[in-house]
Amino acid sequence: MPRTIDVKHLSRVEGHGRILVEIDDRNRLERAQFSLVEGPRFFEALARGRDFRDIPMMVSRICAICSVGHKLTSVLALEDALGLTVSRQTQLLRDLLFQGMSIESHVLHTYFLALPDFLGAGSAIELVPRLPNEVKLGLAMKKLGNTIQELVGGRAIHPVNAIIGGFGRVPTRDELLTVRKRLVELLPGAEKTVEIFGGLTYPDDTVPADGARPTSFVALAPDGDQFSFFGRRIATSAAPETVLPVEEYKAIADERVVPHSSAKHSLPGGEPYFTGALARVNLFFNKLTPRAKAAALATGVRFPSANSLHNNLCQAIENLYSFERAIEVIDLLLEDGGPRPEAPADVEAKVRAGRGVAATEVPRGTLYHEYELDDAGQVVYANIITPTAQNQANVEKDFGSYLHRHPEADDATIAFNLEMIARAYDPCISCAAHYVEVKRRS
Amino acid sequence: MAKPKVGIFGLTSCAGDQLVVVNLEDELLDVVGAIDLRSFIMAASNPVEDEFDVALVEGSVVTAEDEERLREIRAKSKLLVAIGTCAVWGGIPGALNDLGRNTLYRIVYGTDEDLFKASVARPLKAVVPVDFALPGCPIEKHQFLEALASLLHGDLPIAHNTPVCLDCRFNENLCLLKAKGQLCLGPVTAGGCRARCPSHGLPCEGCHGPVEEANFASEVAILQEKGFSRERVARAIRNFAHQADLARTS
Repeated sequence: MPRTIDVKHLSRVEGHGRILVEIDDRNRLERAQFSLVEGPRFFEALARGRDFRDIPMMVSRICAICSVGHKLTSVLALEDALGLTVSRQTQLLRDLLFQGMSIESHVLHTYFLALPDFLGAGSAIELVPRLPNEVKLGLAMKKLGNTIQELVGGRAIHPVNAIIGGFGRVPTRDELLTVRKRLVELLPGAEKTVEIFGGLTYPDDTVPADGARPTSFVALAPDGDQFSFFGRRIATSAAPETVLPVEEYKAIADERVVPHSSAKHSLPGGEPYFTGALARVNLFFNKLTPRAKAAALATGVRFPSANSLHNNLCQAIENLYSFERAIEVIDLLLEDGGPRPEAPADVEAKVRAGRGVAATEVPRGTLYHEYELDDAGQVVYANIITPTAQNQANVEKDFGSYLHRHPEADDATIAFNLEMIARAYDPCISCAAHYVEVKRRS
Repeated sequence: MAKPKVGIFGLTSCAGDQLVVVNLEDELLDVVGAIDLRSFIMAASNPVEDEFDVALVEGSVVTAEDEERLREIRAKSKLLVAIGTCAVWGGIPGALNDLGRNTLYRIVYGTDEDLFKASVARPLKAVVPVDFALPGCPIEKHQFLEALASLLHGDLPIAHNTPVCLDCRFNENLCLLKAKGQLCLGPVTAGGCRARCPSHGLPCEGCHGPVEEANFASEVAILQEKGFSRERVARAIRNFAHQADLARTS
């Protein structure tokens, strides 16, 4: 009998997502759709005609979990347009702020959104009686990520303190030492987290079958020999020998509007690709910090991996990287008696017409922001491409791979597994009611 | 006494106010122990949605689904609390409410077609009665806990009807508006945020929306004296609360 599997509202993700699958009477897949049905908020239109100074605080509101990512990426793009350079202290503080975001976001997703899938629970709250220590460890690490965002960003969500040119207020030496102490205390917990997520079972349902086109992985290439969330060149596993300057991002992340989503789809040359922790670890495993690399090797999972569910494990690995990198950055800031109070770089003399592009690696993948300013500093063009928009097509491809392997599975099993696959991408949409509806067409 | 049945919901939004709840790391286990949390889709599967003593709703009403969902929640709830500036005022998505949706579609999606049947971004109170409003972008953790404690005792919380300037005075901040001539919305913005931005040396952006009886005319006049155009000030005020400006300065 032909059937339709419709997960109208995907739970344990940020935002309203819907899964719709249609299967014909011979169990062949007719359609596999992952829709982002959040109401449109028209951010690119909001930016037009505005003074560039208003942009970062507005685009921060695109997303709560990675508001640091949107705010800083817009700041970097606008500084690029203005030709403004910032101090080394500002660059280090921005790096630290990003590590705080990454810890908060990855811990939230791994422990509280994804883990229940692997342990047969509906939520992390249900896990409390079974795994009290693990839930408490997750809460403690998430709190530390938020503490870093609060200290450096001035607020854990929609950070006020990170602005064009630098920071309103620079954290004091004592404040950084307090955070450093906590990072060192919880570092073994971050290592333990890699072990926990390395010990889960990740079915290889999303791995393309033999002879099928392999999944492409896309991430920013770090400028130096260390793993990084910053860079100005785009790398892809499809063409490992070449990198693309971020200014040419549209050659990779070219968007088109699809009728079922208010987020625009990204399909470079029509082919889906994966962006996010799995892509970063796959492409730059050798650049990881020593403990992160050692803990990853100890799991027995080998990278590069074509299993999308390994994104959960890669977030745990990156979380450990963020602990190590945050400690390293704080040590650099503390050198020579720093950090020092410092006013943001002056933008007034820099206002000019121009175009600026920046990309960063946010928890869910590569984020692109582009702005064009007129000579009065008003925005005449804005373009923002989020990781989830880029991943949407690949999620649908993975649905196809799953159904190719399990054509006979019953509706509830299909719904559960497709939800788990979509959730592994840590999609960032924004959430409501959740129910699964299975329709069988006669 | 039975624990109050609570639901936490999101309409069109960034989920930041729900994230503040998830971010109650120290209090989360106590909070979920004190209430019967029946629906919180962002954090848990398998919601039970028959009736609620308290519904906390984030986001603005943009789509037909948002409106339908909000009416459904209202019908099932004794008390409905708007959390966050989007729910209370329309928020950032409402900043362009004076532009036709077709213009916005053209800019963002390259078409005039009403792809998603979107309306202007409306606050909850434009659609259903709201019992209490807790603004903030996002809401402040301490204000949320304070409000929740009142609700658990069966009382309506007390609203913070004092401007950000009061919070600034408590922190002994330098006045960025008067002393530095910056475009600070503190005098017309609801406080309770402990003056986050001015305490970082940055002007208030108005993210909690207008304080009751805000004197917009005076704010505009002061800023015009400092060299800002009326249009720029009005735009700043409308960023988070499009309706406020229309209601109070026309």
